[in-house]
Order: sequence, then structure tokens, then C-alpha cells
Amino acid sequence: MCSSWVVLAFCCLGQLCADQSLKPQLAAPQLATNNPTLTTVALEKPFCMFDSSLHPNKSYTIYLYAMKETASAISSLVTDSSGKPLDSTFQQTSGGQLGPYKAALFDVPNCASPPRFADVGDVNKVSDVLKQYLFRVGDDGTCLYDPNFLAVCNPPLAPDTTYRFKYVLLDSTEGIMKDQTLWSDPIKTRRVKLPLKIDTWPGRRSGDMIVITSILSVLVFLLLAGFLASVSSAAMGSKDSSTETRCMSQTIQQSEPRPQLSSE
Amino acid sequence: MAKSGDGIRILQGLLVFGNVVIGMCGIALTAECIFFVSDPHGLYPLLEATENDDIYAAAWIGIFVGFALFALSILGIVGVIKSNRTLLLVYIILMLITYAFEMASCITAATQRDFLTPNLFLKQMLERYNKSDTDNNNDKWMAEGVTKTWDELMLQKHCCGVRGPSDWQEYASAFRSRHKDADFPWPRNCCVMDAQGSPVNLDACKLGVPGYYNSNGCYDAISGPMNTQAWGVAWFGFAILCWTFCVLLGTMFYWSRIEY
Repeated sequence: MCSSWVVLAFCCLGQLCADQSLKPQLAAPQLATNNPTLTTVALEKPFCMFDSSLHPNKSYTIYLYAMKETASAISSLVTDSSGKPLDSTFQQTSGGQLGPYKAALFDVPNCASPPRFADVGDVNKVSDVLKQYLFRVGDDGTCLYDPNFLAVCNPPLAPDTTYRFKYVLLDSTEGIMKDQTLWSDPIKTRRVKLPLKIDTWPGRRSGDMIVITSILSVLVFLLLAGFLASVSSAAMGSKDSSTETRCMSQTIQQSEPRPQLSSE
Repeated sequence: MAKSGDGIRILQGLLVFGNVVIGMCGIALTAECIFFVSDPHGLYPLLEATENDDIYAAAWIGIFVGFALFALSILGIVGVIKSNRTLLLVYIILMLITYAFEMASCITAATQRDFLTPNLFLKQMLERYNKSDTDNNNDKWMAEGVTKTWDELMLQKHCCGVRGPSDWQEYASAFRSRHKDADFPWPRNCCVMDAQGSPVNLDACKLGVPGYYNSNGCYDAISGPMNTQAWGVAWFGFAILCWTFCVLLGTMFYWSRIEY
């Protein structure tokens, strides 16, 4: 009698312990490198988190609840007074600001044979692997504005905001919550910087440009100096030779008339 | 003032040889610059949009300078062989003008190369890629050029963004204002495409699963050809100018020593 009570107490304690350590996690960063983005967060599905609460002959569903971190001051309950999970939508909670909203429902993931990361390389299998392994919160950009949309709407999240998520295990036939994880650690979506702030100043001049400019400037200066020198030396040289020829022509002129006079 | 006949012959021979080399280098410069101006990598719209396309101006000047060098070298050879002072004076003056133009081309190419930094292309990509509300025709032309060039670049070189796909996530952009982040964390061309031109797996691309999106940046594909062009114009021109400097000095000396 006593021992069975002890065993029961241990079981309860074990469940409580399991609950306290289990939270929704971000999808593995090796697989989903772009996570979280501006408006989406990819979460790992709850593998092996609820196995202690599962009975073999019943059918279960998992609900995912999301809320902004600031909403935890207002309300963070996901069930109503009778133990049924809340049916709140994105619009009703103003995008998770007033409390948690239901973002998704899916089947319990298979703990015995989880998807293998190695299959991601195969083009045919990657869709299945991603679908089984993770869930992308904020994936559907059109359901909010589509009046015919009847399923659970999963609209994009707000940028630069912290969110928290929770998985809830639901018995499909009874509609009552059987188990839940803790609220996840705060996950913040990205923020953007303005492109105006990008500094396009190149900084220091490169060495190439300095070498080319300085050497070419010196060469041009030397060329001009050489040109002036050669023009001036050519001008001086022609002045000298022109005075020489003038003297010579004068002496020739003086010597020429004499033979004429003597002949006459 | 009279140099020995052998000395004159040697100087003439050297000048003719120098001019032959100048002529050949001129043709090579023209060919090189025509190749650059023809833009084989299709990157000109990116430069045009930065309003910093002076390395193309330097290449254009190079085409005409190369041709001028070729023509003047022939004039120089004729002038040296005939020892004609007028021809050589014309040659020297025209060569000095060509020298100045080529110097401008080299310095422009080297200087403008310094402005082509990753941040410049990043800012331009974010502001102009897929921009829909353009102010005027010039803006529209540039935006279309940038969009088309980036699309082809991302498709052919298998790259995304300037430094990487995270550029699209870290900064606001004209693209972001047109396309929701949930559907388009980055442009479609960043995804690995199949033979039909559509992404292999769109969800994997959006999540950033390795192998389904291009994870490296395009900066190397842009700066490689532009660097080659700028350095090709600048340094080859510089080499030609150094050689021309020696030939011109020799010609000036020869000109000042020959008689009328």
C-alpha cells in the first residue's frame, strides 16, 4: 500500500519534472539557418515530449500557442475553466498582444522514428523531412485577408518583437487538454537597419593610385622641362649659326665687286 | 655640336625601335580597352547606377589614345629616318598631348577603383533592386538596370546579396517593401534552381536549408572583373607612359641636335 503510493508519487514527480524541462525549441540551426527571420520563427515539433501521457488506443492532436512576451502580464492561460484549450485567433488577441492565440494544430510527431537530417540532401525527401521535423510560425501571408479561410490562421509575426510559444496535447475525442509544455524561452524576431545609414566612404587611398599619380606627375614635369630645354637650345643654336652666316655673306659681298671694277 | 656618324645612327636606330614598340603597345591598348568597354560580364548597369562609372571613361580614353599612339609612332619613325625637324617637332607636340590624355586615363582608373567598396554595392542593391515607385525616367532606367543585372548575377554565379543572403534580412530595402518576408526572405533567384528555372524546394530555400539556397555573396563576382578592368587600364597605361617618356626624351635630344 505504502509502496504503491510512493511509486505513484514518484510518477507524478517524474511527470512534473518532465514538464518543467520541456519547452518548444527553435529548429536546429544547422538545418534552418535563416531563423528567426523578420516575421517568422521555425520551431522544432515536440518530439518525445508527451510520450508519457499518450495512451495507445486514443487519438491526440497538438496545438501550438503563440503570444508576445508582454502579454504574459495580461494572460498566459491556454485553457478555459473546463480544461478545454482556448480557441483564440490572431485577430482576437491583436497578434498575441492580449494573450495567446492558436497558431497551428498537427498530429503528434513520431518519437520512435524521427526524420533524419541526412535525408535533407535528397530532393525528393526534403519536403517530408521539413514537414515532419519543424513548423514555421508566420508562414501564411494571405490567410488574414482571405474571408473564405476556415482553418487555423498562421499570419506573419511582427518584426523586432519577443514571442513565446507553447505546445498543448489534446485528446481529440474528448477535446480536453492532457498535457502541455512550458512556455518557451523568449524568441525575438529580427529588426532591420535602414540602408541610408550605410557608409560608402572608401577610406584611405590605395597604394596603386598614389604610386601611379606621383610617378606620372614627375614624368610629365620632366618631359615639359626637357621640351623647353631642347627648344631653347635649338633657338640659341640657330641664333649663333645665323650670325655666322651673316658675317660670311658680308665678307663675300665685299670681296665680289672688286673683280668687276678691275675688269672695267 | 657634330656627333659622330655612328652615334647618330645608333640614336636613330634606338628611336625607331622605341617608336615601333610604342605603336604595338598602342594597338594593344586599343584592343584591351575595347574589350573592357564591351562589358563582357554585364556589370555596367551597376556602375551606372552608382554614378561612379569613371573606369569606363578611362577605358574609352584608352581606346583613342592607343590609336593616336599608333599613328604618332609611324610619324615618329618617318621623322627620325628623314631627320626632318618639322615632322619631329609636330611629333613631339602631339605626343605630349597624347601623353597628357593617357595620364588622365591611368589616374582616373586607379582613383575610381578605390570607390568600389562592398558597402557601395550593398546600398545600391538595397535601394534600387526591384524598386517600384521611381521618381523619374532616369531613376526608372537605373532601377531596371540594377534589377536585371542582379537577377542574372545571382542566377549565373550562384550567389546572393553582396556579402551573403543575410543582407536581405538585416536591412530594409525596396525589395522588402514590395515582398513580404514570410514569402520572400530573399529574392527567388537566391534559391538553387532546377533545369526549368524554378526553385528546387521553395520551403527549404525560405528556411535557409544548406544546399537549397545560395549562401555566398556576389561581391567577388562583381569586384573581380572591375578590378581587372581598372588595373588593366591603369597599369598597362602606366607602363606605356614610362616607355614613351624615354622615347620622347631621346627624340627631343635628337631634334635639338640635327641641322636644318
